[in-house]
Amino acid sequence: MTMQRRDFLKFAGASLAGALASASAHAKPSSGRPHIVIVGAGFGGATCAKYIRMWDPTIKVTLIESNAQYFSCPMTNWVLGGLRTMEETVQSYKNLPGYGINMVHDTVIGVDTDKRSVTTKDGKKIAYDRLVLAPGIEFMTDLIEGYAEGEAAGKVLHAWKQGPTLATSQATLLKKQLEAMPDGGVFVIASPPPPGRCVSGPYERACMVAHYFKQHKPKSKIIMLDGHFDVVSKGPMFKKAWKKYYAGMIDHRPYNLVTKVDHKSMIVTSEFEDVKADVINIVPKQRAGAICKLAGVRADSAGVWCPVNGITYESPKVPFVHVLGDSVASNMPKSAHVSNNQAKICAAALVEMYNDREPNSYPIIGSTSYSATSDHTSGPIAVVMRYDPDKEAYIRQPGGGASEDSDEINFEYNKTWFDHIWADTFA
Amino acid sequence: MHVKASVFLIFCGMLFAVSAQAEDKPVCLIAGWENPASVCVAHTKTIAATCYICHGPNGKSSGAIPALAGQDKAYLVTAMKDFKAGKRETTVMKKYAMGYTDSEYEALGEFFASIK
Ligand SMILES: Cc1cc2nc3c(=O)[nH]c(=O)nc-3n(C[C@H](O)[C@H](O)[C@H](O)COP(=O)(O)OP(=O)(O)OC[C@H]3O[C@@H](n4cnc5c(N)ncnc54)[C@H](O)[C@@H]3O)c2cc1C
Repeated sequence: MTMQRRDFLKFAGASLAGALASASAHAKPSSGRPHIVIVGAGFGGATCAKYIRMWDPTIKVTLIESNAQYFSCPMTNWVLGGLRTMEETVQSYKNLPGYGINMVHDTVIGVDTDKRSVTTKDGKKIAYDRLVLAPGIEFMTDLIEGYAEGEAAGKVLHAWKQGPTLATSQATLLKKQLEAMPDGGVFVIASPPPPGRCVSGPYERACMVAHYFKQHKPKSKIIMLDGHFDVVSKGPMFKKAWKKYYAGMIDHRPYNLVTKVDHKSMIVTSEFEDVKADVINIVPKQRAGAICKLAGVRADSAGVWCPVNGITYESPKVPFVHVLGDSVASNMPKSAHVSNNQAKICAAALVEMYNDREPNSYPIIGSTSYSATSDHTSGPIAVVMRYDPDKEAYIRQPGGGASEDSDEINFEYNKTWFDHIWADTFA
Repeated sequence: MHVKASVFLIFCGMLFAVSAQAEDKPVCLIAGWENPASVCVAHTKTIAATCYICHGPNGKSSGAIPALAGQDKAYLVTAMKDFKAGKRETTVMKKYAMGYTDSEYEALGEFFASIK
């Protein structure tokens, strides 16, 4: 049987006729090898830069990152539990120039997608053949009345993004507040409904903080105001662990989207109730990093995330601009694991195309995420998603899902996962 | 079998004319689709790089998750088949084994066996 898949694969949203007409003019970059500029050296951006250079060292790569070091979110919950220190979560960028990556520590503040250049805070103008945006997330704090004031007063923390220094990282500040809280206090964690960064993170955080309370302030309580109707991910595993290790300490309240916070009275208000807290941790709803808006690629129907072509990760809206990581609009989890994996698919597609070869139309995303439930147990979720170029979507393969139990062996795997993803991305 | 008779790839102005005809060009299959051989090379190196996230860069492990680099090809292929069939105890590998094809097991086995 012969099946004709399709006659044309469109990699750019630009009109097909236009692309064809300009094809010969743009077939090769004007001067020698292409220059790819990548914004954001997190799990998406740093991985993409490294793998482009490993797979084709003739392609020029400039990686622009605001911070001097990478401030990892993975493992910060372990810090709150007292299992690790904040220092252990920070990753150095010192090895990336060794791959021939031109690493620039600066913030991109403008994109000219017609002339194909970016401008930075320090006043640099950098031209690109292709731009890869991997800026992570931005918080929609305006959806919660009083959030901005509370954050400015240091009383309301998200701890869902770290940096720009170790001392100012919100996980550092949250740890201090939990340490200063009297025994018998109430810690409120509020989380939004999906999609958002690391949907299992709030529940792991509850486990880790409960572990810390159990050791140091056993009369304390955790109230989870969950914007979703149930535990979003690994539900059975977390619920079992809460019962087994932290009986009576974690009060999970679903359908409880937070709308308001008053840091003076320390009252968190949801659609249903007012909760008095001693320490307040609110994870607001999120959208793709600000630079995505400036580049015009935050183009889903709500103007929140960035749709991409699943083969190249190029924006269908703005040619020559690719998006990776948490900023992408997709059915994939927003995780470090997926961001790293997307980055390799994008890198491979760019390398193939800049060597006049067809990119692979069948990329596969493997998504694994471990969560710790105590100081010696973790549990995984694992899903394989295969791109179907006819459906133009990543299709979840049968057999994937979460473990119902956490255990010692997965705790060991979880530790190894941290070391390996950091090494694969930054070392 | 699926055949891409004549595929024009337009990549922002870069034009490729690829004719993947079984008679005169080497082809390889991914999930039943015929492709130029280069696509399968890129596919294998990319799916192998997915494994690095847990198993360590280049499949070289520094922790509890087993190393893949330098393992015997037959051992790796058998392991994947056993995970899929439920013959071997796993935490996440059965879920992965079910998402990949037999020919991907072979390609990955060969890839990791060749890393010293
Ligand atoms: C508590 C917690 C635990 C987590 N645990 C896990 C886990 O166990 N496993 C997992 O897979 N995921 C985990 N995650 C999710 C993970 O942190 C994110 O999914 C991941 O960081 C996304 O990668 P990214 O590259 O898209 O963005 P980021 O890692 O946020 O990187 C973006 C980078 O871009 C830079 N940047 C942004 N804008 C600009 C600009 N204009 N100019 C220059 N630089 C810029 C930023 O400084 C930053 O370094 C966790 C998240 C949290 C909050």
